[in-house]
Amino acid sequence: MCIRDRYQRRVHGDLRNLMGFKRFVQAGRVAYINYGVDHGKVCVIVEVINSTRVLVDGPTLGVPRQVISLRRLALTDHLLKVAKGIHTKALEIVIKKEDLVKKIGESSWAKKLASQKRRAELNDFERFQVMMLKRQKAYLVNKDVAQSHGKKPKKESAKKAQQAKMDNNRIKHHFTLKSHQKKKKKKKKKY
Amino acid sequence: FFFLMIRRPPRSTQGVSSAASDVYKRQVSTQSTWDFQWCQRRSMGKESKSQFSLKKVKQYILVGRAKPVAGQKEEPKVYRMRVFAPNTVIAKSKFWTLMRKQKKIKHTGGELIAIHEVIENPSKSVKVYGIVLRYQSRTGYHNMYKEYRDTNICGAMSQMYMDMAGRHRAREETIHIVRTCVVPESKIKRAETKSFTNGNVKFPLLNRISRPPIKKFKAFARAKRPTLFLQQNNSDS
Repeated sequence: MCIRDRYQRRVHGDLRNLMGFKRFVQAGRVAYINYGVDHGKVCVIVEVINSTRVLVDGPTLGVPRQVISLRRLALTDHLLKVAKGIHTKALEIVIKKEDLVKKIGESSWAKKLASQKRRAELNDFERFQVMMLKRQKAYLVNKDVAQSHGKKPKKESAKKAQQAKMDNNRIKHHFTLKSHQKKKKKKKKKY
Repeated sequence: FFFLMIRRPPRSTQGVSSAASDVYKRQVSTQSTWDFQWCQRRSMGKESKSQFSLKKVKQYILVGRAKPVAGQKEEPKVYRMRVFAPNTVIAKSKFWTLMRKQKKIKHTGGELIAIHEVIENPSKSVKVYGIVLRYQSRTGYHNMYKEYRDTNICGAMSQMYMDMAGRHRAREETIHIVRTCVVPESKIKRAETKSFTNGNVKFPLLNRISRPPIKKFKAFARAKRPTLFLQQNNSDS
């Protein structure tokens, strides 16, 4: 690269960065495999083979060194400083040093995945509990919103208080049709 | 295809050659010893399962000779050939086709001594493979030199067949492989291959689509319209 090119690059930056891209397919990029046998796992791009395929490795992450299509990858923000074609053992050292597993676990994306997984694992009763809690939350939120909008806070009616109590009880005990019907009636009388 | 006597093939490139033709004369680095001991069947295990696969072409070593005739003074010469084929049946067929054309030994008058599949070590590093081939187009025969980046020779071969089919409508049957080699970085000829061997290569992924993680989850009837944009935090905007 001549001096002029180097100056240009320093002043104007790389075209790719000019476009505002943040995540690139490059050696050291941490990626999430979203299709295939290893889906759900995280790996590191070791070397770019061509525009469609990539050599990938994940020593402590449960991914064997393999060629994978870029269609099967989702890039993350994490980038390790490794030379292209790094060996598995050397990569393992880097991953441990950077504490990659911890960093990934702390990312919001990983937390979302974990909550999705938990949601899929819920049993019927747990789903009911979730519904109850959501309703409670919604009530509190709506109350707060109404207050912030300047509406006069309605006096906590005895019925409302009782309803809240019943909701709490339901979380402990099983839901019955009768109590549901009662509640429906009460709901209609609200406004 | 190399036709060599079983005694001792050359282990190094023959003498001084220009940069361009040096690549063509280079021996295949995977064949470090002409021994049958390295033709060992290894368990592919996890590697084959997770391997992203193109049309699977395998590498075979076939050894054959003409049948000995009573009254003949000399034992018939043994020939060894390296063939790329998807299975042993086609490999044998290719072997005898060339034996017939080049050595005047027919399948009926010859015997196949051995056939071994050559299995390379699983993908550890990416190499550039140079393939010299000869193919038949609709109007004549042409020679070509092509380069492919891959972890093993069979992968590069698969790429080559796909590439030839796509670019030149050349089917597998019309392609003859003359020579293969592992090309060092300094000798790479093609600009595209060169650009990817650069250690600083990087590009963003664009036009992403979301798809279910397992083929089993692919729904053919959906209640909602498909999402065309994948929300990926890849740009500053």
